[in-house]
Amino acid sequence: MPGASAMRRRPLPGFVGSGLGFLRKQPFAVAGLAIYLTFILLAIFADQIATHDPREILFRGAYRVARYLPPSATHYLGTTAGGRDVFSQLVHGTRSALQVGVTAAFFVVVIGTLLGLLSGYLGGWVDRVIMRISDIILGLPFLPFVLVISALTRPGTTTLVASVALMLWPNTARVIRSQVLSLRERGWVEAARVTGCSTPRIIFVHIAPQVAPLAALYGSIAVGWAILTEASASFLGFGDPNAISWGLMLQDAFANQALSRGVWTWFVPPGLCIVLLVLAGFLVSRGSEKLLFPKLGD
Amino acid sequence: MDALLDVRDLAVHYRTAAGPVRAVDGASFTVPAAGIVGLVGESGCGKSTLGRALMGVLPRSASIAAGQAVFEGRDLVTLSPAERRKLLWRRLAFVPQTAMNALDPVQRLAAQMQEVLVERGGLSRAAAGARAVELFAMVGLDAGRLRDWPHQFSGGMRQRASIALALALNPALLIADEPVTALDVIVQRQILDVMRDLQSRLGLAMILVTHDVAVVAYACDRVVVMYAGRVVESGPVRAVLEAPLHPYTMGLMNAFPDLERAGGELVPIEGAPPSLLNPPTGCRFAARCPFAVARCEKDPALLEQAPDHHVACWRAAEAPALRPLASEAATWSR
Amino acid sequence: MKRFAGRIAHAAFVLWAVATLTFLLFRLMPGDPTLNFLSDSFSEEMRADLLESFGLDKPLPEQYLIYLGSLLQGDLGVSFLQKRPVLDILLAALPNTAALTITALVIAYAFGIIAGAFLAFARGTVTEGIAIPAALITRAAPEFWLGMLLLSWLSFAWGIFPSAGANVAGSEFTSEWARLTSADFLWHLILPALTLALYLQGLPLLLMRATMLEVLNDEFIVMARMKGLSRWAIVMRHAARNALLPVATAFALGLGSSFGGNVVIETVFSWPGLGRVLVSAVQGADYPLAQGAFIMIAAVLVLMNMVADLLYAWLDPRVSVGARR
Repeated sequence: MPGASAMRRRPLPGFVGSGLGFLRKQPFAVAGLAIYLTFILLAIFADQIATHDPREILFRGAYRVARYLPPSATHYLGTTAGGRDVFSQLVHGTRSALQVGVTAAFFVVVIGTLLGLLSGYLGGWVDRVIMRISDIILGLPFLPFVLVISALTRPGTTTLVASVALMLWPNTARVIRSQVLSLRERGWVEAARVTGCSTPRIIFVHIAPQVAPLAALYGSIAVGWAILTEASASFLGFGDPNAISWGLMLQDAFANQALSRGVWTWFVPPGLCIVLLVLAGFLVSRGSEKLLFPKLGD
Repeated sequence: MDALLDVRDLAVHYRTAAGPVRAVDGASFTVPAAGIVGLVGESGCGKSTLGRALMGVLPRSASIAAGQAVFEGRDLVTLSPAERRKLLWRRLAFVPQTAMNALDPVQRLAAQMQEVLVERGGLSRAAAGARAVELFAMVGLDAGRLRDWPHQFSGGMRQRASIALALALNPALLIADEPVTALDVIVQRQILDVMRDLQSRLGLAMILVTHDVAVVAYACDRVVVMYAGRVVESGPVRAVLEAPLHPYTMGLMNAFPDLERAGGELVPIEGAPPSLLNPPTGCRFAARCPFAVARCEKDPALLEQAPDHHVACWRAAEAPALRPLASEAATWSR
Repeated sequence: MKRFAGRIAHAAFVLWAVATLTFLLFRLMPGDPTLNFLSDSFSEEMRADLLESFGLDKPLPEQYLIYLGSLLQGDLGVSFLQKRPVLDILLAALPNTAALTITALVIAYAFGIIAGAFLAFARGTVTEGIAIPAALITRAAPEFWLGMLLLSWLSFAWGIFPSAGANVAGSEFTSEWARLTSADFLWHLILPALTLALYLQGLPLLLMRATMLEVLNDEFIVMARMKGLSRWAIVMRHAARNALLPVATAFALGLGSSFGGNVVIETVFSWPGLGRVLVSAVQGADYPLAQGAFIMIAAVLVLMNMVADLLYAWLDPRVSVGARR
């Protein structure tokens, strides 16, 4: 049978083949990756880059707390109402933002992909149960749910990451599921089934690699969502009070009349950092979207 | 013969990163004032592009590079968009392929009729309503179906509705792009019957673009055979199909079943049309032609070999001898 | 009709599941709910009284049935801190949230649809090169931070708009309607609504542009050009009409999610809406009020999800009208 070998051959995931042309053709994605890289470096070398201990209360002279200092050579972005160095907080905030974003995205991708694969490939009652649960979660208001969970348990990064992952997996699962529904009818999956591959093997060896790029796409969007959610929750006072995060900085600034005092060096930079990091996720996903679904392009 | 449409050396190029793709590359033919002209050829030989070029709706990447298309004494190629718009649908209408999306999916057929009749035909709403009923009757559709949405129609009915829409303003020329391709054979015949009947009743001219020689044989008066962006043979259907002069035409006839009687051996033409990015020099069919000789490396001109029967082949004079060979399957499998 | 009934049944199921989940959430969390929600200053007696008044002394299944029963009657209990029926408090906040959300969404979608349609025709231009990243940036910015920027600029630095609240303190109105249509209310509404609209407009803009680009390639648009129709008729009657289907759905979905998502905007502008009620109830450990606010926000979300589905079906004859041959 001449067609059999062609039928069994699995196409390479799109990103491997066209990875080289990627840098040249996708300025959006490259810009996104560059932003990610910058923030990762900032997080790794936060201790070296920061000029002060972000928690240290600074003093001017003997007993005067150094509040609301304007930007200067020692305090690039001035100081907070509590006398802490804004720039140092900003640099250290990178760590918690990346930590929240990446861990939440990881769980969203893992849970979403796993349930999407099972739901799409097994069908039947497994599919119905998983889709019902995702219906219910889509019926829960996102931020209020995160707030209530944070309030009822111990507020902190773990709670936040868990609730973000819990709320966001249905989107990924649904997309993966519909992808699997079409993949399972393809020749090579059919061939694997006929030759007696076990179901787990078909799902994880034959199908999972094909949906991986799509899962990664949703992961990069989830990074942004998690960071925004952490910022919102911290701003509302439901974050980890001991963490140093951009959301908490904004809350601190808002609560201490930074707006009416016009201390824009305090409340503009954290927001800008959030925008950049979330934007990076959008840019990467937009870029790879074109890579994954070329017909959406020109 | 006074031609309604006279296409001369028309060339349509697509701009691509690799260079211009010559989808239509110097095509010439005429369409008389009444009758159906079949424009036939394999897919990718430029016949649909030609139809769209005449309607002035080429994609952004394509443009008419050379030639003229004189319609009712005016060259469609040099006409300004505003001047062309005046002709569109009033003198020159189009019947699309039975694709789902040729009719706006969120508007009832009545609204799509009204739009054309009122906005382009200048009819009052009441007159347009009556005319729509009349048009539906002409194509064999029940007037009640005017209230329906496109997705409620079967493929054949959708094609009838498209024909009714095209006839709304009494055009002189109807260009039908693969009008029956997506339909099953029985419905194909019904639609072709409708088109034939309307053509003779209204006395208009039609260009029927198709890849199917059987459709040409069944419905057309004249035929224009295209290959790789050029016209290789043209003339009255009877003359061309009964005594084809070009080996490509002979091959095409072997490759399609007859619309009226099934059976008979089908012999495909080996290979595919050449890339139009860098078309071969000389006769473009030579690479697939079982009768190619050294002379075929030079371009044959489209010449009148018999009365009203044009062909572009160096061996056209030998055609009577080649025809029996061409009908044998062994000739084509090399 | 069958579809309609099916969709309502589905919404009812989700609503029931959300209500049950809320019940479990508030009662099964580690520790006694009263420990979470009552302050230490309460004596043991007061605590017992309180447990009894909320039915918390009964076994869990019985509590659940009572909870569902009163929920069906619209009884959400009594606020612990304000000593008023929860429903009254929520209904007082609802118009503020509705006014804010609807105003912002209408502004955002009117702008987004027009700009998105325009951008579909501006492929490869400088305008596109600026507008798309700009739209992405507004989607990437935290809403509350956008609000802070506008506040510091238009309210504190330039003093144009009020910085907090929905009305000047102490103002009196003859009716709720009179309050909502008063110049004072609208004046307070502008800044929060603009902030929310700024945040929301990216979605309809990008969506409209994408669907418009897709529709413009459809055969019926080419047909409309062949018919010699005017550019206006082609764009508005055929392209936009088709491209609007998913945008209309997004509008309904946005209405549902904004009701809950407004939590942060309402906090920044001290806007007395549902989100603020929820936040202060959770912070103040007012457990019946927090539960009620959460359920109401969820109910609006589920309802709007349903409306979005039905709206799409209604707008798209391919879904609502079956084939007939």
